[in-house]
Amino acid sequence: MPELYLRMLDRVLTPVLLVLSIFLLLRGHNLPGGGFIAGLMTAAAFELQILSRGEASVRRDVGRYLNRALGLGLLIAVGSGVVGLSRGAFMAGVWVELSLGPLGELKLGTPVLFDIGVYLVVVSVATSYLLTLNRLAEEASRRNAPQ
Amino acid sequence: MSGFSPNWLVVPVALPLFTGALLLFIGRWGFRRWLWLQRTLGTVALTLNLAVALAVAVETIGQGRRYVLQVGLWDAPFGISVVADGLTAIMLVMGGVVALAVFPYAMATLDYHRERMGFYPLYLVLVMGVNGAFLAGDLFNLYVFFEVLLMASFVLLTVGGQPAQTNSGIHYVVLNLLASIIFLAAAGVAYGTLGTLNMAQMAQRLDMADPSVRTLLAGLLLVGFGSKAALVPFHFWLPTSYHTPPPAVTALFGGLLTKVGIYTLFRSYTLLFPELLVAWQPLLLTLAGVTMVAGALGALAQPTIRRVLSFHIISHVGFMFVGLAVAVDIYRLAPGFGLAAALLYLVHHMIVKTGLIMAGGAVELEMGSGRLASIGGLAARRPLLATLFFLSAISLAGIPPFSGFIGKLSLLQAILDAGHWWVVAAGLVASLLTLINIMRLWQQSFWGRYRRPGRSRVRPLEEPWRRTRVLAPLAGTVLLSLALGLGGERAFGWMQVAAQQTLDREGYIRAVAPHPTIPPLDKLPQKE
Repeated sequence: MPELYLRMLDRVLTPVLLVLSIFLLLRGHNLPGGGFIAGLMTAAAFELQILSRGEASVRRDVGRYLNRALGLGLLIAVGSGVVGLSRGAFMAGVWVELSLGPLGELKLGTPVLFDIGVYLVVVSVATSYLLTLNRLAEEASRRNAPQ
Repeated sequence: MSGFSPNWLVVPVALPLFTGALLLFIGRWGFRRWLWLQRTLGTVALTLNLAVALAVAVETIGQGRRYVLQVGLWDAPFGISVVADGLTAIMLVMGGVVALAVFPYAMATLDYHRERMGFYPLYLVLVMGVNGAFLAGDLFNLYVFFEVLLMASFVLLTVGGQPAQTNSGIHYVVLNLLASIIFLAAAGVAYGTLGTLNMAQMAQRLDMADPSVRTLLAGLLLVGFGSKAALVPFHFWLPTSYHTPPPAVTALFGGLLTKVGIYTLFRSYTLLFPELLVAWQPLLLTLAGVTMVAGALGALAQPTIRRVLSFHIISHVGFMFVGLAVAVDIYRLAPGFGLAAALLYLVHHMIVKTGLIMAGGAVELEMGSGRLASIGGLAARRPLLATLFFLSAISLAGIPPFSGFIGKLSLLQAILDAGHWWVVAAGLVASLLTLINIMRLWQQSFWGRYRRPGRSRVRPLEEPWRRTRVLAPLAGTVLLSLALGLGGERAFGWMQVAAQQTLDREGYIRAVAPHPTIPPLDKLPQKE
């Protein structure tokens, strides 16, 4: 059974980690960050969940989305490259500027899309590693427990 | 000018990846019901891949052009350069042929459990990695694609989780990772000394660099790529792993993987170190000769069908490598004759080897065992398979009118012309041993009393839909081999165009056109 403090920590830290990962994902275009780091950060949040709630419950909640998220991420990443063909070359950056009135300008482009694809791939791959590793660890500890 | 734009060059990489990702969505529920869609989409993607590869070949070999795509409009060496010339085109086409031929065979011979474990998406990812390695214009992306294909092949090797598979998978991945580390070290040396990983720019700067840099880089790349190609002192991973996975996986690996290593050796040595092809010729010839004979000798001692065939792969890698060793020897033959001969042999090998492993795998599945001592007598029950196996076998051994003959003849001509009679002798001994081996295979499996020692989960020649998917690709490879043998002169002309293009370093550098604003080597900031 997980420790009480771990469950408390989980309540506080998981939302923080998830928000931070989104922040890193969007920041990544010009500053340190990006899809890969953000994906690992999200996977870290899931690992915290696994440690505090057990592998089975996390697998029940996110496990079945992982395969599809992996596929979706790859599709988005390749798709963002195809959009670049409109500017003459695969993966060329295409940018759209949206004016949000008082909030200022929002520049959106295919590199962000590519990053989101990378993010999805990294999250799903890293989380499935973590789920499998934790299952093995939990099985081992269960086997050793009764003695 | 036709409608060919360099952007087409991303198709062989992007299309298999895209389709592979798409297949992940199909059949999460009710897998059995949606299996046909996975198979159809995979076939369509591989057909399109082959079509684009053929278009690239027509544009490069037919027109004598090179195509370079600077991905994302970032000039070399800042961005990723994708380069296609005749050599790349040949590899793409042959890779496409092998991938398309093995795909229906895989449908017919795999068991349901393995199909469910994501076989088809991984198959496409492997094809993407192989194509990417052929197209990469810089060392780092080459490394990345090597890793992509290593990971995909590792999972394909172990999918199904038999203990023998896992055991061989561990050998495979450890030895291949070792080769990758050596390759990565080479990339590190290149970046540290030359300040670039773009191959065109490396070629420019190597001319100015210290000779020791060239020696070190060439040595590291020889060991790294040589291990991927299964040259003899570095071949251990291949025979331990190729006989354990399902036959379709062995056929795919046997047709594709070592050839990526051969391609990278051809590319790196002709582009980066053409002088070393002359200076190191004794070393390269020795490696090639030893590989030819050792592979064929090793095959003699093997007890099962696919083990014999895996050792033959090694022997044939030696034949292709010998073409590189005499690539720049110009005596009285046309320039690039040696390399063209090696390319022709490579094309022949990719076709025939794939077909032969598919045939051998079908025998194995039919008999429930590949152990030569305990099987026999299949000829009367499966005459068509016996015929196709026999035709592939004599093509492999080099008997006219099949492609093996013209491939070996032109290679031996090139070597003799350069005056290396002992390599010719080694080649002839290896050919003789191959003939003995391959006849042993055929005789043991098809002649004699009918003996069927075991049962496999799938008997591909029982059901009609499986039978066509096994025999049609097999017949296709035999016909291709026959066509290549009969139209050998024309094919050799194409290979010569490709070989001359490959040996033309200046043209390659001009086509990639690495940005000149980077200071040349002697202006780089020197460390104190």
